[in-house]
Amino acid sequence: MDQNNSISPFQGLSSPQGAMTPSMPMFSPIIPYGSGLTPQPVQNTNSLSILEEQQRQQQQQQQQQQAQQFVIQVKKNNFLFSPGLPGTSGQAPQLFHSQTVTGSTTTALPGNTPLYNTPVTPMTPITPATPASESSGIVPQLQNIVSTVNLGCKLDLKTIALRARNAEYNPKRFAAVIMRIREPRTTALIFSSGKMVCTGAKSEEQSRLAARKYARVVQKLGFPAKFLDFKIQNMVGSSDSRNFFHQVFSLGSHYEPELFPGLIYRMIKPRIVLLIFVSGKVVLTGAKVRAEIYEAFENIYPILKGFRKTT
Amino acid sequence: MCRILMVHREIEQLSQTYYNKAYQHESFLKVSLQKKEVLAGCCVLVSCRLLNWPITMATILCLINADPTLVGEVYQEMISALKIEAPIVLITDVIETHIQEYKISSLHLPEEFAENSKDLTRCAVALVELAADSWIVTGRKPVPIIMAAVYLAWQSLRPTKQRLKTSLEKFCQIAKVNKYRPAVKRIAEIKEALCKLGKEIPWVREAVTPDNVVQHVEDILQHRYALLRRAMRTHQDALQEGRKAGFDNSLTEETDSVQSSELVEQTPNSSSVKQCEPNEEGAPQPRDGDNNPCTVSELHSGPHERNDVELNWGKRVLFAPPCVIRAKRRRVEQPELQDVTGDEEISDSEIDSYIRTPQEARDFALTQKMFEKS
Repeated sequence: MDQNNSISPFQGLSSPQGAMTPSMPMFSPIIPYGSGLTPQPVQNTNSLSILEEQQRQQQQQQQQQQAQQFVIQVKKNNFLFSPGLPGTSGQAPQLFHSQTVTGSTTTALPGNTPLYNTPVTPMTPITPATPASESSGIVPQLQNIVSTVNLGCKLDLKTIALRARNAEYNPKRFAAVIMRIREPRTTALIFSSGKMVCTGAKSEEQSRLAARKYARVVQKLGFPAKFLDFKIQNMVGSSDSRNFFHQVFSLGSHYEPELFPGLIYRMIKPRIVLLIFVSGKVVLTGAKVRAEIYEAFENIYPILKGFRKTT
Repeated sequence: MCRILMVHREIEQLSQTYYNKAYQHESFLKVSLQKKEVLAGCCVLVSCRLLNWPITMATILCLINADPTLVGEVYQEMISALKIEAPIVLITDVIETHIQEYKISSLHLPEEFAENSKDLTRCAVALVELAADSWIVTGRKPVPIIMAAVYLAWQSLRPTKQRLKTSLEKFCQIAKVNKYRPAVKRIAEIKEALCKLGKEIPWVREAVTPDNVVQHVEDILQHRYALLRRAMRTHQDALQEGRKAGFDNSLTEETDSVQSSELVEQTPNSSSVKQCEPNEEGAPQPRDGDNNPCTVSELHSGPHERNDVELNWGKRVLFAPPCVIRAKRRRVEQPELQDVTGDEEISDSEIDSYIRTPQEARDFALTQKMFEKS
């Protein structure tokens, strides 16, 4: 039986050398630091953290000088993708990512992540004027925003449930009033402490408007409601990378087809969780600001592009 | 548990160590007895995986007889608590162990239904590989796929009228296994993929439909790589015809790129069925999709792709994951809410619409009281 060939789809890219080489040209192989750092396999994490430090310093210098380019260099070697290859430590590799280059934020490279090779060094553009060949051209759509606000007064949930049309309250099941408005189409959980959670909006502004409307409803019901500490807690985006993926490969993440059909990938920087599905659709969650979602998608897109497979 | 599964001593020891560790771990200190049993099962599962013993979660589920969601939860918790990274189980490895559960040897069944387990394994493995190439496996639970493959393999090894008439349910009854509902869908999907290849068999005159494809399964599996290549070529040609007919403006551009794709396809390094070269070519070839532009769509990146994206792009490829081919319709986003600043004026009337009139409130209270009394 042709075991080698036939097993290949399951092992994703089991070929050691050439797996990603053909795709190399599509990523500009630039480390724009002039740092003299050449990609090389990392032998131990100590030397890597020194490299990281050097990189970071160089980068901060370069920031002011050059136009930002969005460059991702992914050195794709075998160990990134074949679980079964010898020489890997058996750990699924951690994808090393982005250094956010916005204003003064320093690029905190996670010094302790076990890395197998050159760090991925994308630089997010300050102005989104990226060459088409280097950015994905796909913008993730925001699907859900969760925000909280403090109405600043104690509330009597029974009264609210009685006098509001759009409220439901079942204290035995959940200790909050569930209120809904039509526009923007959102749902709010209102607690007796005066705190409120607003979900379902498609943008930050919509979430804020919706929260204000709920506060106004509560006000009209006779409570001295204010609008304190409005904060976006979570943003969920989705996108389509338009490739198909055999998900046997592990990007330092979890893929358990028996539990969930998607691959759960936890990006370190930005701290976003991505759910990647075989159809190429990607769900990104855990962001506090919109830019994190975009950044995460731009980080993952070239890697996913490299994984694209066709029958 | 390890005794029942008949695993190596090392696995048993490893699972015991993990269990002890997990038991002491804070997240598992005060859990119910049931959860602790589930934890034990998860430790066995992890140890098997780490030591390359093919086993599915379904087997553990059967052994400990627990709820799948609970097992999943405990498994994830345990993995993150003990910081283990378990490699993924290859479905083809699992097939052999699974087939042993199916009581289809001649000891258990009469001649017409019995089947040699080696042949069955071989055929089922080939079917699963084909399914994997056709995007049927990724993202799905492995056990129903295995069941579908075993069923089709069993039918195809001796496609008598009786076997062909046997439904999946009956098959599970005679093999004494529990039927999995998704297996029916997988059977249909695999049959569809087989038909696509069956159409390319040169010596078959009649049309290959899901009903009669089982007879040709052996042939298809034997020559599947060649058939795959042929099917790809046919599909590309068909697409080319379609595009020529459809798009006059971008005609030259597209045919150029299609031609270039064919050229690329013909060079040995970029055969569209790279990973399916039947004869070993020494070291495994790069299987990266980038040198397999067998979907014309990939060449039209940029503006063209944008336009075509509304058409289900899954349909432009010969094989695509079923979720793409039968894409669900998405609810359309309301356009009025595009330019919201968040600080707009909120009209009183709108807010009033959300508040009950005093009469309404009284009625509501009354009704509630009535409900409570009854």
